[in-house]
Amino acid sequence: MLDWGIIVHYFPFLVQGALLTLKISVIALLFGFIFGLLAALLKLSPNVVLRWIGGFYVWIIRSTPLLVQLFLIYFGLPQVGIDLGPFMSGVLALAINTGAYNAETIRGGIISVPSGQMEAARSLGMGSALAMRRIILPQAIRMAIPALGNNFVILIKDTSLVSTITLVELTLTAQRLIGSTYKPFEMYLMAAFLYAILTTTTSVLLSKLETKIAVERR
Amino acid sequence: MTGAENKAMQMIEIHNLKKYFGENEVLKDIHFNVEKSEVVAIIGPSGSGKSTLLRCVNHLEEPTSGEIYIEGVLLNDTSLGKRSFQRHLNRIRTKVGMVFQQFNLFPHMTVLENVMEAPLNVLKEAKEDAERKARELLDKVGIAEKAASYPGTLSGGQKQRVAIARALAMNPDIMLFDEATSALDPELVGEVLKVMENLAEEGMTMLVVTHEMGFAERVADRVVFMADGYIVEEGKPAEMFRNPQHERTKKFLADVAHDDV
Repeated sequence: MLDWGIIVHYFPFLVQGALLTLKISVIALLFGFIFGLLAALLKLSPNVVLRWIGGFYVWIIRSTPLLVQLFLIYFGLPQVGIDLGPFMSGVLALAINTGAYNAETIRGGIISVPSGQMEAARSLGMGSALAMRRIILPQAIRMAIPALGNNFVILIKDTSLVSTITLVELTLTAQRLIGSTYKPFEMYLMAAFLYAILTTTTSVLLSKLETKIAVERR
Repeated sequence: MTGAENKAMQMIEIHNLKKYFGENEVLKDIHFNVEKSEVVAIIGPSGSGKSTLLRCVNHLEEPTSGEIYIEGVLLNDTSLGKRSFQRHLNRIRTKVGMVFQQFNLFPHMTVLENVMEAPLNVLKEAKEDAERKARELLDKVGIAEKAASYPGTLSGGQKQRVAIARALAMNPDIMLFDEATSALDPELVGEVLKVMENLAEEGMTMLVVTHEMGFAERVADRVVFMADGYIVEEGKPAEMFRNPQHERTKKFLADVAHDDV
């Protein structure tokens, strides 16, 4: 049923596409983590304006589709003179999107650190920023790792949407090869297989990290 | 005696302190002083406001009204702006060590790192100095061999001794103990009280909220009995325990004595 000759021949092309998917994912993941951390801190700020800004960001991103956010950045912004090009637009849209979900995850982690930790830090003369950085966040992030990992996996899969803005990543590579080979089943199966490799590797690495931290603290 | 001289003598000086939690008045016009090297035990039933009073002394609770002076400096100085007040608080807190009922050690750091954390990042001590001092303090509280362990592996008594070492690493002038032995298994209480007793003998100024009447009687210079947000009576431990003046105190001491049997 499957044309194995086609699979063997075209697999390297799809791996090429997967490498771009990986590159987009890693950059979006890093910025998405930073956006999420900043938004989480904004949402927990004692300042009502900062809290509102953080809350608005999380609300607007989580209540609109990623595809629309992507089109707003790629097709919409050039209309007001901001042309980021497909790669920057794609990475930015993904980072902003995953950042909103990371914000809620990290905020949950911060809240779950017992209040005695902040009190102990403050009683030692640590300022709130120092205590957050040295005492609260390391514990909060560790607690948030499983949920963050979930967000990372969703991010990797969501990168397929940037195929709509001419980025020849894994999904668009498959689509283009289908145009010349007329073998959609083989091509999409290979693409699915490569996505599974990327996401599973991410999950395994994160659970290794989680175990390592747990062992260290024993 | 003028006010200024008076302040210079007192390590802690509290005037007209009131604290509300919502509608609930937990501290009702507290007046209270602690002298240098004095060990003061605060006793009383739960809900009497004794922990709240202690937590006001390093501003973990914000007084609703009144003044608290630490070594002559007004702690709750409302004339300061937000940022300068935080700096002011941090400065005073480096001089006031606190030990909590629930230990509150930092679980992601080793015992040694716990003790070195604030000296390194608040006092900006050199790493070698901070480590040398941390090891000395761990040795002093009898737990030097656990320096590389994580808090999760320690017994409650060991945790609390590390917490004491962590507070002492800031070279505080005053130590606050908030029911430091209440979360411990009975057989582990002694080792922590011993460390506190040694500290008292060295001349540390200590404010100790405790349920350990034996400790209060043996170690404290003065015992303060609180109930319903008031200081009901205070005095030398011998007088207080043998000859309490107020009905409320008599009843409390009788109840406690009954529990011990």
